[in-house]
Order: sequence, then C-alpha cells, then structure tokens
Amino acid sequence: MSQSFDKLLDARGLNCPMPLVNARKEIGKLEPGQVLKVMATDRGSVADFQGWVKIAKNVELVAQETESVDGASVYIHYVKRTT
Amino acid sequence: MAERRNDEVWTAEDLLERLERRDKFFVLDVRNRDEFGRFRIEGREPLPAVNVPYFEMLELGGKDEMVDSVVAYVEQHMANQLPHALPILSVCAKGDTSQYVAQGLRRLGYASANLKGGMKAWGLHYATRAVVETPTLAVYQVSRPARGCLSYVVASAGKAVVIDPLRHLHPYLDLARSKGLTIERVIDTHGHADHISGGPALASQTGSSYHLHPYDAIHPIDVLPATFPFEPIRDGQIFSVGQHELEALHIPGHTLGLVAVRLDGRYLFTGDSIFIHSIARPDLGGKAETWAPLHGRSLRKLLKLPGRMTVLPGHFSSLDEADDKGIFAASLDDVKQSNDGLLVLQRESEDGFVRYLLKSLPRFIPEYVDIKRINAGLLAADEDAASTLELGKNVCALSQAYKDSSGETT
Repeated sequence: MSQSFDKLLDARGLNCPMPLVNARKEIGKLEPGQVLKVMATDRGSVADFQGWVKIAKNVELVAQETESVDGASVYIHYVKRTT
Repeated sequence: MAERRNDEVWTAEDLLERLERRDKFFVLDVRNRDEFGRFRIEGREPLPAVNVPYFEMLELGGKDEMVDSVVAYVEQHMANQLPHALPILSVCAKGDTSQYVAQGLRRLGYASANLKGGMKAWGLHYATRAVVETPTLAVYQVSRPARGCLSYVVASAGKAVVIDPLRHLHPYLDLARSKGLTIERVIDTHGHADHISGGPALASQTGSSYHLHPYDAIHPIDVLPATFPFEPIRDGQIFSVGQHELEALHIPGHTLGLVAVRLDGRYLFTGDSIFIHSIARPDLGGKAETWAPLHGRSLRKLLKLPGRMTVLPGHFSSLDEADDKGIFAASLDDVKQSNDGLLVLQRESEDGFVRYLLKSLPRFIPEYVDIKRINAGLLAADEDAASTLELGKNVCALSQAYKDSSGETT
C-alpha cells in the first residue's frame, strides 16, 4: 500500500535537526490538504516527527514507514498541512 | 569563569572531569521527554537541568532556522529558567542539534557549551584509573561512568587477569598494549543482568580462558544452559597472576553463582554484593524470596574478612561514591560503618534482614531478562539493540541507592 503525496523532501544523509527543519520550511510552501513525503536516514526522526506534530497547529502525521534501501534503513514520514 | 580547553565544546571526558570536580553548571537537554526520563547526566550531587525537546523550540520559536528559533523560544519561554552565572551545557542524542542550541544561547549572552557526540558519546565513555600501580602489582579500575559499571584489570609481571569486562573491549586491549600486558584469564564474577558482558569476546579475542561459576551458566528464568565455552569456577579456587594470587569466594545472593575475588589479603573484588554506599538486590533472577536469605549469609561471610581490605565493587549508583581521584574503592572497615545495607545487616537478625531486602527492591527492569539471555549466549544483539538494552544507569542495588539522584527542575 503506497501513500499518496504532493511533494517529496529527500533528507537522507542529514543529521538531526535538519530533516525536521527542512520539512517545516517545505510544509509552509504547501496548500492546506497537501501531503509532504520526507525521507530521512536519521532514526531519531521517527520520534521527533511524532512529537513535533503534537505541538504544531497546522500539521498532521498521516503515516510513517521504514524501508530498507541497500541494507540501510530509510525512515519515511508523510506530513499533511491541515490549515 | 576561567575554563581550560575549549569552552564551547565539551567531550565526554571533559564532562566526567567536571562532574568529578563538582564544577557548577546547568544542563539544557533537548531530547524527547521519555529519553530524558530514562537516561540523563548525573553528577556527584543533583545537577540543575531542564528538558525542552528541540522540536518544541523549533515550532514554538517559530523561525525557519534552528538557531533563530532557539533564540526566539528562549527569549519568550525560558528567560527566567536559565542562569547567567553558570555555564549551560546543551545536550541532545548525538551532539548535532545541541550545537545549534548552544549557538543560540551564546547569541543571547549565555556561556553555553555543546556536549560533543551527545548522550550517545557519554553513554559509551570509558575511564581507566590506577587503583595501585607498583613494579610488581597493578590494579586498574575501568569504568563506564554513565552506566555506573565497574570492571578491573589485575596485572603482575607482564600478566593480566580481567574481571567483569564490559561490552566494549577497547579499554582492556588498549591498556594491555600500553602496559605491555598479556591477558591470561577473564573472570566474570556472575551472569550480569544490567549490561552485556565483554567476557567471552575478550577471552576469544586474546586467546585467554573465560571463567564463570557454573550456577550462572544457566539462565535463571529460562532455565537453559549457556551456549559458549567456559571454565567453571570453584569456591576457594586460586588463580595466579604473575607473582600474585586471586582466590574465588562463592557468595550466592544477587545471583546463585556470584563469586567475590580476593587479591592477597589486600583487595576484594566484590562483584554485585557490596557496593560502596549500598548493596546488591537479590531479585534479578526472579527468585527474591529464595535468594534473599542466601544474600544475607554471603554478605555476613564477607564482613568477616580483614577490615583493612579494599572493597572494589562491580557498580556504583552515584558518582559521589568515588574518592577524590575518581576511584570507587573503600576499606571493608569503612563500608561497615557507612554502607546503608551493611548497617542494617549488622543490626538485624537473619529474618529481619530478609524483610529489609524484600521491601527495598527497585522496579524490575524487563530488559534485564534479555541481557541475561545475551550473556548466556541464548540471544544475539547487534550494536543498536545492545545499546538500547543498556540505555541509562544500572539498577543493581537496593532502592535506597536511587534517592535524590536527579536534579530535574521541571
């Protein structure tokens, strides 16, 4: 089952906090209702995106997935801009 | 405040030195709240600390860039919480995000440093201290300060015995190389529950023998035998190391196969029995009621040894148990007069002491069952799984050891 999205942010190889910093900037450019797919290799991003959407007023975490690419884990976050 | 080295970056080693010296500083920890709850920096005395996850600073600070958000967040929400008179150590999981936080604080005029490598580096830091170092005998204490784990290298005439080696082997291999020592034996005083033993790996890597009491080669909860080779330790067994002798003393209680090791009449490696300020818990094998009376009898046996012997324990619960050289050691006479559990032992009957033990049990740590499985070779763990299982400070002592260990202010 693949989740639909409107924009892709490739944050692979970036250390904390950049996946989240860059995702916030990209979310600001989306229309309400649109979804950003974030790909990250920082494992901590899983808990951080969960914590972030709890306090951010305009976003919702639609789904999180982990994929294995060439033996390395890629953490994928689908974030929807709500308002 | 005059500081040596770099004010803006503290390594794990710098941090340990400052904690040992009781330097005053404030900790701003920007990890998730549950990570902070499980594992934080602890000093000789409670450290002032505050935990604000970085994503809250980012979102509530409301700027595009991390440093700008830190500045805005601190100005709006934290101005009264952060001291201007103390250095502020910024801490995160791996030391990246905390750099931005430290930079933001400095922009606001605070003296802020970043913990290099974050809590990961602090958790993996090892320190090696000489307890005694003479031409004929040396004893080194190798500690993992963030976890409160202690291990030892006894050396004489170029030969060495390693007692209770911890998971990472580099401290022992480096010490052996720099002092020109051949590691002949590795002894585990017991099957550990709180940390993954480096014993079997160190023995196989150095071609030395691995010694364990046979009772601890059976997982106490699974009741399954260990899968790796070991030489069974007997009560009273003598091991030579250079010109000196080590003697194993079977002292069941914390585990059924626990041994203390005495070095001549001078040093007593107590494993998980007597610590400096506290004593070990008897319940990690899941048999508290049955093992508690054994524990009491074993401790009484140890108290009959010569009082001038130096106790070298397997754990500490607070850095404050170290002497001014950062070594965790005290004479048996001293611990008899100051150790919480031993004071109760000396004034209570056997039954009274068992009641004290059973009402002093800290919470059971579920991860410890798996760690014991790994230590019996019944389960494998890669580096990630191993560090997750070993996260935070050991909980091997009675509950009295964990009072006032944190300085959380929020």
